[in-house]
Amino acid sequence: MYEGVRSPAVHMPKTLGDLYFASNRFPKALFWAGGTHIMSRPNYYPDKESPDVISLQGIPELRRISRTEKYLEIGSMVTFEMLLRVGRQVLSPLLQKTLENTATKIIRRQITFGGSLATVGVRYALAGTLAALQGEVEVKGNLGPRTETQWLAVERLYDKQGRLLLKGDELITRIRLSFERETFSTFRVGGSVMQHPEECVYLSLSCTYSQSVINNFKMVITFPTSLFLVPYEVGMMMSGTMLPLSSQHIGRAVKSISDEIMVNATETPHPIQLERAKRFIEASLHELNAQSLSSR
Amino acid sequence: MKIKCSIDNKSQLLDVNSNKPLNLILIEESGGTIKLSSCNSHLCGNCIVLLNDEAVLSCLIPAFQLKGARIVTFEGYQKSRFFHDLERAYADTGSQPCPHCFNSKTLIFESLLQRIIKEEGTTSRDEEIDEYAIVKELSLNTCPCLDAQEVIAIYNAAAVYRRRRRVRRS
Ligand SMILES: Cc1cc2nc3c(=O)[nH]c(=O)nc-3n(C[C@H](O)[C@H](O)[C@H](O)COP(=O)(O)OP(=O)(O)OC[C@H]3O[C@@H](n4cnc5c(N)ncnc54)[C@H](O)[C@@H]3O)c2cc1C
Ligand code: FES
Repeated sequence: MYEGVRSPAVHMPKTLGDLYFASNRFPKALFWAGGTHIMSRPNYYPDKESPDVISLQGIPELRRISRTEKYLEIGSMVTFEMLLRVGRQVLSPLLQKTLENTATKIIRRQITFGGSLATVGVRYALAGTLAALQGEVEVKGNLGPRTETQWLAVERLYDKQGRLLLKGDELITRIRLSFERETFSTFRVGGSVMQHPEECVYLSLSCTYSQSVINNFKMVITFPTSLFLVPYEVGMMMSGTMLPLSSQHIGRAVKSISDEIMVNATETPHPIQLERAKRFIEASLHELNAQSLSSR
Repeated sequence: MKIKCSIDNKSQLLDVNSNKPLNLILIEESGGTIKLSSCNSHLCGNCIVLLNDEAVLSCLIPAFQLKGARIVTFEGYQKSRFFHDLERAYADTGSQPCPHCFNSKTLIFESLLQRIIKEEGTTSRDEEIDEYAIVKELSLNTCPCLDAQEVIAIYNAAAVYRRRRRVRRS
């Protein structure tokens, strides 16, 4: 039935060393994590051009979740369900909400952290949330005898349009999150990334305040196929501001971010997408006000 | 690629392309007796099977992950005693999935019930599953034949039968 379709070679390294070796020998091979993005692309199979595969599934180091004094470290092959099982004490509420809102348990058992951050063509929810939480990723490049390692802020993996800046042979091995907790966070999702990515919006906001003064504010807005926006100006405007925010403050933030969206999105946003983004920004700032007032 | 695995408790030696999705393998190897969809990424949710006892969308599982795997399709599952819990729940509630999605929705219900009791001998903690989680899990199958109330009623009825099995065993 599928004559002429080649069967790609599949390399299954068991250690990081073997993985570097395989990647060095087969630099064009595709890293395979949970496979949910790779296999849900239209016309995935049969495909005459299917690249060879390096499966990351057999490497125990990449499945590890560890805690240091300051950080939670998550191996890139940890699945969303594995991390959710670690529980509330360890997870930031924002991350927990994002993971719980992603797909269903059956799919979350397959989705990995590394795969979710490294997709080409679509930006999923996790990236914005990790960026809002000031997460960092360990990236290994030049895999082989002289493998190079660097830690990058999550948002440095993408440009403003959400395009992945990693090269095909660069590998995410770990994600690191500080244990410092946000005083307020919210995660909002509008639409379905799988059915209508052009209408879908994610907003992740993490913020700390003490004595009603905001001292750290980080919002990320994602349009899966066209935008990954960290509005730094609004972040700066918010820092040092007293809560509750006035309606002028909120109005200014919504306007400033909407303008940035229009300038940065690769394509003109779908009207529903733009409207959702505006409503999410406004609603999340009202939610911040409400929490700050109720905790007084 | 040659792969040894078991399909509905029969060992099989497959000779397939390494990246071929499991749903296509099952459809072709069974000569069509196993009923699964192949929706080319429309995520219909009509291709659920149990892989090493866990429900998966078979179109998202490549052949190379099947070495030594235990695959149970609905056709195999319906011969197990666990299926009776759902059959009785369908009868008790007067609701059941339509013929189009019956197999996959039944296996999604089963994956929820597994949290109450797993394979013989290995019981899992009886997690309280909230109604939202039940409805969300079923939404993986996009067929709209059951509404949220029906889904919850079926799950609750089946859970009673499943818990009785555990009580009887202990
Ligand atoms: C039914 C369904 C529902 C979904 N619902 C949601 C949802 O509600 N919200 C949401 O945000 N997303 C959703 N998704 C998308 C899902 O989040 C992605 O498919 C998933 O994040 C990809 O992760 P993976 O581990 O399966 O990666 P894979 O598909 O294995 O890989 C994805 C890409 O990353 C590369 N890669 C993998 N690991 C690494 C690594 N360590 N280093 C470098 N590159 C790597 C691969 O080469 C590939 O290009 C859904 C998907 C499905 C199938
Ligand atoms: S065939 Fe439709 S989701 Fe698998």
